[in-house]
Amino acid sequence: MRKSVLYVLSLLVVASMLLVACGTTPAAPAATEAPAATDAPAVTEAPAATDAPAAELEGTLNVWSFTNEIRTMAIAFQGKHPKVKVVYTMIPMTNGEYQTKVKAASGTADSPDVVALEAAFVKEWVESDLLMDLNDLVPLTEQLKTYPAVVQVGTYDGVTKAFSYQATPGAFFYRRSIAKECLGTDDPQQVQAMVADMDKFVETAAKIKACGTGDYYTVGTGAELFTPYLANRAQPWVVDGKLVIDPKIVEYVHFAKMMRDNGYESGATQWTEGWFAGMNDTLKDANGTPKKVFSYFLPTWGLPYVLSPNSTPKDGGTSTAGDWAMVNGPMSYQWGGTWVGVLEGSPNSELAKEFVKFVALDEENLTNWATGVYTNEYLKAIDPTTPDDQAQAAGDFVSSQLVVEKITSSFDNSTLSEFLGGENSYGAFAAAAPSVDGSFLTGSDDAIQRALNDPLAAYLSGTMTEAEMWAAWLDAVRNEFPDLIIPEPPVK
Amino acid sequence: MNFAKFKKASTGYFFLAPFIIGFLVFGLYPVVNTLTLSFTDATLMSGKSHFIGLGNFQRLFADEVFMRAVGNTWLLWILNFLPQIGIALLLSVMFTNVRLKIKAVGVWRALFFLPNLLMPAAVAALFNALFAYYGPVNQLMVRAGFLSEAMRFLESVGVTRGLVIFIQWWTWFGQTIIIVMAGMTSIPIQLYEAAMVDGANGWQMFRRITLPLLRPILIYVFVTSLVGGMQMFDIPFLLTDGRGSPQSSIQTNNILMYMKFASSKGHIGAASSVGVLIFIMTSLCALGIFYFLRDRDGVEKKPAKKSTLVKNMEKALL
Repeated sequence: MRKSVLYVLSLLVVASMLLVACGTTPAAPAATEAPAATDAPAVTEAPAATDAPAAELEGTLNVWSFTNEIRTMAIAFQGKHPKVKVVYTMIPMTNGEYQTKVKAASGTADSPDVVALEAAFVKEWVESDLLMDLNDLVPLTEQLKTYPAVVQVGTYDGVTKAFSYQATPGAFFYRRSIAKECLGTDDPQQVQAMVADMDKFVETAAKIKACGTGDYYTVGTGAELFTPYLANRAQPWVVDGKLVIDPKIVEYVHFAKMMRDNGYESGATQWTEGWFAGMNDTLKDANGTPKKVFSYFLPTWGLPYVLSPNSTPKDGGTSTAGDWAMVNGPMSYQWGGTWVGVLEGSPNSELAKEFVKFVALDEENLTNWATGVYTNEYLKAIDPTTPDDQAQAAGDFVSSQLVVEKITSSFDNSTLSEFLGGENSYGAFAAAAPSVDGSFLTGSDDAIQRALNDPLAAYLSGTMTEAEMWAAWLDAVRNEFPDLIIPEPPVK
Repeated sequence: MNFAKFKKASTGYFFLAPFIIGFLVFGLYPVVNTLTLSFTDATLMSGKSHFIGLGNFQRLFADEVFMRAVGNTWLLWILNFLPQIGIALLLSVMFTNVRLKIKAVGVWRALFFLPNLLMPAAVAALFNALFAYYGPVNQLMVRAGFLSEAMRFLESVGVTRGLVIFIQWWTWFGQTIIIVMAGMTSIPIQLYEAAMVDGANGWQMFRRITLPLLRPILIYVFVTSLVGGMQMFDIPFLLTDGRGSPQSSIQTNNILMYMKFASSKGHIGAASSVGVLIFIMTSLCALGIFYFLRDRDGVEKKPAKKSTLVKNMEKALL
């Protein structure tokens, strides 16, 4: 009896080991077979695909994203291909939920076909074996003159695995009325001269603070400048398996501390109520004293998605639209952007590839996307179940220079230009876009940068010394990257 | 075992089968799988993984991050469990007390239990918004003169820990009351009547009758709360930034495990090593509770769980 129990137990152990082996290594065979797997269908199906018109596409496509933006394109795609059904899943990424969910689902039966990948973590995926090789779509980027940085981010070891419909150069948005009152002018060129580099920016911040009754803050939070500082590093976060603490990072930490200590920032946390309230003049401190925020560091998408929608207070007060202007600011940078890729092992890989092509590399779609063709009525005509707030307003900056050049003039009298007091933001972004550099993005960025938030907050509020802050951050990074070599802290 | 015997008992085995299968698939397999993974450097983002022996465990003890998470978990659990069991006992005694005769006990019990029905995500989001720098608590406190200027509550270690402890207590003490009351009402009322006849006061009855007879229930509450406490995750995860901010002061075992799992490459091997250590620690503590709270006289003599006073009273009754 006892022997048989042992026998059964040992069988169980062996069986579970086998299950373990099956459970953890699905990607290994996929990785080695990948080239063969993608080549083979391409060869056999390619003639069929070119012979038949695109309308022949059919099937169901699972698309996952972290916002509702791509849903608009998914509906438009269904309009083009009525036999295709796109199942769209949105998972927010506030604390990294989306990233975790996709990681956990890939390789299982619940795995989506197409995933949206944000700039902060797209490299993780491009560097992994989990995204399909989309090299045969690269020639399209030459036709569309896709900005090189966009393709560069989606490429690893010569293989391009993800494409984006956006290019995301950053800018500096400021309030014209406050500029006039405190700086004596609201002219973009003159204001740009006053914030042309970080020294001048700090001088201007002091002027804003001293101006009026002292109820003006230069920025919502110093954290808005993290991305500009990151973009101006000399080295990426990880070089040869070693964490690099660039001097710009140290500079940023000191800058953020200075902003907080001098009261140049409102102290609101980015992406929270207080930070948004500054965009429509409803920010009040705990005593109920109104406070105003002079400027926001936001990229292309920040204008139509963040600044413009938040310029009117929720309770219907006066809007700040028309009181804004846009300049390059102290540093050139890029911020965010959404790439799309196809997960390895997708049963609908050809359809998925078509979808990626439509989203990121289709001149008509990109034009429609940027010029506000995809209204709610347009989408409802295709899919009556479209939610009422689903639509794409004009103004998102697209990745194709060809499209950008064609449509820039159409924004001369648009609502977004009115929002900026007559300035054509599209033209300004078009000037900045070709110089954007994506080579510093690495797969580890997201986790490394998020690990800095908490120690930095403690340092800013004075509960940690600078040395403690660096140590806490490096400890956190070490715990998330078992293989990374961690350097000595810059301050001990 | 011969066939006839098996046939006779087969119905029983059939009824047992669903549990056994469920346990093997959802209980034993994950444990064995986690144990296996904890000795590897497996990640979600790559198919290859290597056996690295105790490497993951060595790394856990290389800095103070893991031990700090263990310390945080114990602190948060003990500080919410003590008031939880204390208040639950007090209220249960009041509700079941024959002399007090409190009205609408069911309504009170339901009211105390209600917070438990709230989604942890909603509760955490609510407290996060309430205690934000530009949030209503700051507005209220400053305008009422309690604070001279707005305070960064969620960047203060003490306040944030206090909030987690309060939320955990507030959402769980109702559940404990229900269980403790169920235990108390199952104690024969004659025992109390006899004690009253003998002139026992409230404290003596509680100490000599209620507590000893409640022991199995208390062990149950203790152990389930310990297991839940060691796995505390949702409230501390959602209250701040999902990393146990500020200064990792509410970073519990499970948050650390999740962070390792969710980090760039999805280091499931490293995450599993945390899981294995939590499992060992919780098991040892639960066994310890059983050992120290076991019925010491019950081992030799059969009629268990009775103090001498109870025995005397029973004699008197019979």
